[in-house]
Amino acid sequence: MVTFADAVNTAIIGKGLMIAGGFIGPGIGIGLIGGNYLQAVGRNPEAAKFLGQALIFVAIVELFGLLAFASIFIVK
Amino acid sequence: MIMSLLFSRFSDIGPAVHVAPAGIFHIGSWVVTNSIFYGWIVSLVVTVLLVWTAHRVRVKPKGGFVQFVEIGVKFIADLVENAFDDKKVGRKYAPYFVTLFFFILFNTWFGLLPIVGEGFRVGQTPLFRPFTGDLNSTFAMAAVTMGVVYVASVRESGGLRKYFAHFFVGSPLNPLYFVIGLLEMFTDLTRVISLSLRLFLNVAIGEMVIAVFSYLGHVAAPLTALPFTLIELGIGALQSYIFVILSVMYLAIAVNHTQQHAREHAEHLTEDDQPETIGAVSVGSANG
Repeated sequence: MVTFADAVNTAIIGKGLMIAGGFIGPGIGIGLIGGNYLQAVGRNPEAAKFLGQALIFVAIVELFGLLAFASIFIVK
Repeated sequence: MIMSLLFSRFSDIGPAVHVAPAGIFHIGSWVVTNSIFYGWIVSLVVTVLLVWTAHRVRVKPKGGFVQFVEIGVKFIADLVENAFDDKKVGRKYAPYFVTLFFFILFNTWFGLLPIVGEGFRVGQTPLFRPFTGDLNSTFAMAAVTMGVVYVASVRESGGLRKYFAHFFVGSPLNPLYFVIGLLEMFTDLTRVISLSLRLFLNVAIGEMVIAVFSYLGHVAAPLTALPFTLIELGIGALQSYIFVILSVMYLAIAVNHTQQHAREHAEHLTEDDQPETIGAVSVGSANG
């Protein structure tokens, strides 16, 4: 009898799901940060000086995507 | 025909992707990995380079590399000073953070040179690996930085008791504030891990991306890998900036917070409670 785990390479499915789930969140997050930053600059051009702070939050959000990418090397 | 050629190309052994550093030689029973070996070389080069630069700083800059370093130093030093309410405290800690910035920056950028990676090998393992592309070294950097941050924030806030008090919003005897304070302390401890993982993953994944695209390019590897190498230059600068600014913020939050506590405490002792919030609310409603 052939089980599902024998017939299908579940590791590849797992890696795909990891990438999909792990990248969608940071993608949305970075989009929100960038969009809101540009909105703030459009409303008040003096807010352009907060680019550094926006980048910090991009880095914080980005970490989770990178963690997802790194974990595909752990799954065998 | 072309398709089969293409797929046979892709069914090859694949790009060489390393997540962990590998030992290249032994000193006694102590294994020297390729990342620490390259880290030594880069540290030596950077030390010589920056000492040479420091002797060539003039009042009227001539441009070139010296001015580039000068801009970087000024940028980070200003950033550190402006993060603190008290500029003198910021100036005291600026040298450490400037050093950290240039160390990470040059280690990451030197890691993009073609000699790093599969170019030179010892047996099966590459001879060089970027120092920041190794979790051990980034963890060491983050641990040392957070150690400096903890020692400095205890010293600046004036005693261990005041330092721990800043974790709690109100009195620790209130069970809710106590739990929130404990949670704050726990998040403080995870900062070492998040700092080190962020830098390591950015650099290591950049290496992987370059490896994958130079593999896909095959004959035209320099052409396909070039855009990603350029992106990595920007990412290296951004990540070193972020590593520094996050550690500065961790220090500044602790120091400013305790000083603010002290100020509020002093105000409470000298004055009665002034209804300042009412004024703020009326201004807000007038604008609205």
